[in-house]
This record gives sequence, structure tokens and C-alpha cells, in this order.
Amino acid sequence: MKEDKIKCKDVMSHICDNLGEELDSPKCIAIKEHLENCKNCQKYYNSIETTIELYKKYDSKISGDVHERLMDFLGLK
Amino acid sequence: MDEDKLIERARNGDKKALAELVKNYEQTVYNFSFKICRDKERAEHTMQETFMSMVKSIKQFSGKSKLSTWLYTVVSNHCLMLARSQKKYGYTSLDDDDNLIDEKNIADWKITPEKVTEDKELKKVLDRSINKLPQDYKIVFLLRDIEGLSTEETGKITNLTVPAVKSRLHRARAFLRNELNQTFGYERG
Repeated sequence: MKEDKIKCKDVMSHICDNLGEELDSPKCIAIKEHLENCKNCQKYYNSIETTIELYKKYDSKISGDVHERLMDFLGLK
Repeated sequence: MDEDKLIERARNGDKKALAELVKNYEQTVYNFSFKICRDKERAEHTMQETFMSMVKSIKQFSGKSKLSTWLYTVVSNHCLMLARSQKKYGYTSLDDDDNLIDEKNIADWKITPEKVTEDKELKKVLDRSINKLPQDYKIVFLLRDIEGLSTEETGKITNLTVPAVKSRLHRARAFLRNELNQTFGYERG
């Protein structure tokens, strides 16, 4: 864990707040720098990204039967 | 045919246009419902009710917001109502913000997200974890991170302010990550 002005917990909290948003405030730049040099925070960042990716990939395709029942239910057959 | 024309025709009673709109959105609505309910039967029921609502009120649809936003709102409200009426889940309280991030409990994850399509055990873990989230947190997480909507759009759909959306998203991300860390983390930092 790297010792500097920004603490790992702040960086992790920032990742949860702002993942996916391009921010260029001085605080964000300092956080990006910290992230580049801190293995622990990188692991945290990766795990948050993987969490989102897992829930994105886990989906359910609509079957032909479900489609037919829907159109029938709506009277649009 | 573009969506505005389809909506216009549907508003004038054209059933083919209405069926086309349903076809265009059925996968999105079904998938979003499934991701909230984590159950195929309930997802189908929610989808049917959502489109029935669209069919009944398409004449009043003003076009001020996108049809997709309107459909997400109906699904969200339906699921929130269902959750309130059932009240059988013991949701986790996420009020203790401080404990959500533990910088000492960090691990490398050896998991390939692509595996999720064929791994039943992995699906169970994902279902169990997300079902612990209070419904409004779950909906915010799904709209922002999974459906890719903006914070503002998510706020409009869930009737939450932008800071409230941000706070729920922050806590939902941290909570889910912690839950999955118990399964996927193989070393303690």
C-alpha cells in the first residue's frame, strides 16, 4: 500500500462513486496517479469492474414460446 | 420504419405498428425484468404487464421522453410494487457506509466473466448476492451499470434525485463486490 496524501480507502470509495465517468478535477487526477502505483487499489478497481461485467453477461434470452404468449396476451397475434 | 412513425401509427390504432414496437423492445424489457426478479416466470409476468400498460396508454404517450425510458419506468415500478407486497426478502441494510469499503480485505479475482453463460453455480452466487440488495439499490445498479443509462435518466425513472442515485450506486457496487469477493477472492491482501 502506498503512503501518500490520498488514502487507499478514499481511492476505493472514489472508484465506487465515479467508475465509468471521465473526470478531470485535481482530486481525480491525484486518484488516477495513486491508482497507477498502488497494487491494492488496482485489485479493488478490477474487482469492481468484474462485478459489473458478470452481471452484464448474465442475461436471459426471450424464447419463441415467451414471445408467442406475449403477443397472445396482448391480442396482437 | 423509425420509432416516431411507429408510435404515431400505433396511437392511431394500427395494430401492426404496435406489434412492431413490442417486438423491438421485448428483449430489453424481458431482460431488465429478469435481472430485477432473477426468475423467468416473474420476468415474463412483468414483461406482459408492462406491454399491456403500453398498449392501453399508447394514445396518451406524448413522446416527451423516450419510449425506452417509459418502459424502464413501468418495469421498475411494477417490481418495486411487487417487492413491497411480498416483503418476504430480508434485505441487507446499507446504511453503514464506512464498513462497505475495507481496504485490508483486497484480493485478486480469478474469474472470467464469459463463464457466466454456462456456469449454474456462478449464476446462483450472482443471484444470491444481488437479491440481498434493497430493490431500489438493485434497480439503480442495473439501470446505470448494466443498461448503461445516465445518472439523470436513472433519477427520472426511479424518482430519485441525482445525489440519491449516486449514493445508491456507490453502495450497491461496493456491496456486490464485497459479496462476490467472498467467492472469488483467493488471497487476502
